[in-house]
Amino acid sequence: MPARILTGIAAAAVVAFSLFPVLWMVLSAFDAGAGQSRRHPLDITWTWSHFSGVFTEGGLGLFLRNSAVIALVTVVCSGVVALLAAVAVARFRFRLRTTVLLMVLAVQMVPLEALVIPLFVQVRDLGLLGQLAGLALVYVAFSLPFGIWMLRGFVAAIPVELEEAAFIDGASWGRMFRSVLLPLTAPGLAATSVFAFITAWNEFIFAMTLLGGNTHSYTVAIGLKQFFGEYSNDWGSVMAASTVMTIPVVIFFVIVQSRISGGLVAGAVKG
Amino acid sequence: MTATRPWLLLTPALLVFAGLLLWPLLRVVLFSLQDYGLREIRTGESNYIGVANYLEVLQDPQLWRVALVNTLGFAVVVVIATVVLGTLVAILMSRLSPTWRVVVGTAVMVAWAMPAVTGTYVWVWIFDADGGVVNQTLMALGLMETPVNWFTGRLTFYLIAGLNVVHHSFPFVAVTVLAGLLGVPQEMLEAGSLDGAGPVRRFFSLVVPSIRQVFVVVIILSTIWDFKVFAQVYLMPGGAGSNREVLNLGVWSYVESFGQNRYGFGAAIAVLLTAVLMAITVVYIRTLMKEDQL
Repeated sequence: MPARILTGIAAAAVVAFSLFPVLWMVLSAFDAGAGQSRRHPLDITWTWSHFSGVFTEGGLGLFLRNSAVIALVTVVCSGVVALLAAVAVARFRFRLRTTVLLMVLAVQMVPLEALVIPLFVQVRDLGLLGQLAGLALVYVAFSLPFGIWMLRGFVAAIPVELEEAAFIDGASWGRMFRSVLLPLTAPGLAATSVFAFITAWNEFIFAMTLLGGNTHSYTVAIGLKQFFGEYSNDWGSVMAASTVMTIPVVIFFVIVQSRISGGLVAGAVKG
Repeated sequence: MTATRPWLLLTPALLVFAGLLLWPLLRVVLFSLQDYGLREIRTGESNYIGVANYLEVLQDPQLWRVALVNTLGFAVVVVIATVVLGTLVAILMSRLSPTWRVVVGTAVMVAWAMPAVTGTYVWVWIFDADGGVVNQTLMALGLMETPVNWFTGRLTFYLIAGLNVVHHSFPFVAVTVLAGLLGVPQEMLEAGSLDGAGPVRRFFSLVVPSIRQVFVVVIILSTIWDFKVFAQVYLMPGGAGSNREVLNLGVWSYVESFGQNRYGFGAAIAVLLTAVLMAITVVYIRTLMKEDQL
C-alpha cells in the first residue's frame, strides 16, 4: 500500500532529522580522530579518552556538581514558593485575584535577556557575584511563573470536600496541607520540578554573566567553553562533555514529556 | 484570618517577582536613560541623559541589519518553518499506530530536550570548516575542492542558526498540535468526508478552525522565543560580536553592555526588544482572555 510506505518514509525522515545531531555528538565523543582530517566522514577510531579526559583534566565533575547543586536549590525553592502561591489563587476568592493571575501570566512573558544588566548589578550588590547562591536565586524567579501556572490546575482539581473532611477530622491547616494537598499535587510538582531543573541545568546567559571569572563555580552550560583550545578546538572533548550534559535532561524529558506539553497547553488554553 | 491567608501564601512569590523580575525590569529602563558606563556600574552613580541612548540606537546604521533582518526576519522565517514542520509531523504522528507514535515521539523529544548550548556546539561542529561532517562529506563526494567556512557569510550563518533553532523547537509544535488533533471529534471529519471534502480541505476548513487556539499559542510562543534567540547565535563562530554583521538585538545588547561597558546603550537595545515582545504578549493574553475566564 503506497500510502503506508510514504508514511513510513516520512516517519523515518523525522526520526533521522531529530536524532542526527545527537547521534553525531555521541559518535564524535567516542572518536579519537574528531577534529582531524580523515579519509571519509565515518572513519572513526573508537576511544574512551575524551570522556576520561574531560573529567580528569577538564574539571567536568566540578561543573556537574555545581549544576546539580544549583538545580536542586532551584527545584526545591521554586516548588515550595509556587505551590503556596498556587493554593492561594486556586482555593481562595480574594480581591485582586485576577490581577495576581494576570501578573503571573505577564511575568512569564518578560524577556529574561533584558534583565541581565540590572540583575548583574543587583546580584553584585548582594555580594553574590561568582557564587552559586546568586545564580540559584535568579533561576528560582525564572521558574516560578510556570510553576504557579501549572500547579494552579492541579490544586483546583482537588475536590474541596477532601480538605473539609480533613478539617472535620480535626486536622490543622498545616496538617491538611501535608496530608491532602501535597500528595495530590505530587504529579504537578514532578512536572514543575523537571521544568525548574531543566531551566537551571541549561541556562547560559545568566550563568555566563553572574559567575564571571570564578571558574570554580561554573555550571556545565558555561563550563563546556573550557574545552575549546586556544588555537584549535578539541571537538572530541567538547562533544564528550556535551553528551554528559545532555543525558540527564533527555532522561527527565522522556519521563515527563506528556505532562510538560500537556501542562503548557492546559495552562495556556484552558486557563 | 481567611482574608489574609491567600496573601500570606502569596508573599514569597510576590517578593521574588518584585525583587527579581519587576524591579530589574524598571531598572533596565532607568539605565537606558543614563550614560551608564564603567564608572557608573562601579559606583552606582546616576547620570541621566534623557533619550540619547535611544536616539543613538535608532540612528545606528547597524539597526536595520540587526533589528530588521537578523532579528525580525530570522524570527519570521524560523517561526513559519517551525510551525509548518511541526504541524506536518503532528499530522504524521496522528496517523501512526500507537507503538510507532511512541518511537517517533521519543526521537522528537530527544531533539527538544537537547540543551541549547550543546545543540549549538553540535551544529557548529557539524558545519566546522576543517573537520566538520558537512565539509568532509562534500569533499569526499568530490563536490568541493577546499573546505568552506560557513560562518563568515551572513546568510549561511543564519541558515545554520535557523536549522539549529528549528531542530530544537519543532517538537514543541508537533507535540502540542498533536494533542489538539487527537481531540478533534472524529464524527465531524466523517461528516466532512461525506460532504465530499478531501483531506487538505478537511484540514483547513474543519481541523484548523477547531484547534485555532492551539495554533495561536504555538505561533505566539515561537515568535517570542525566536525573537530573543541568544546562545544559539552568541556561541557560533563570530556570533559573540567579532563579526558585527551577524549580531541580533539580544546579542548586540549584551556585547555593547558587557563587551564595551556601554550598559546604558545596551539597556536601550534591551528595552526596545522588550517593547516588541510585550506587544506580542498583549496580543497573546487578549486572545486567551477572549475565549476564557480566568
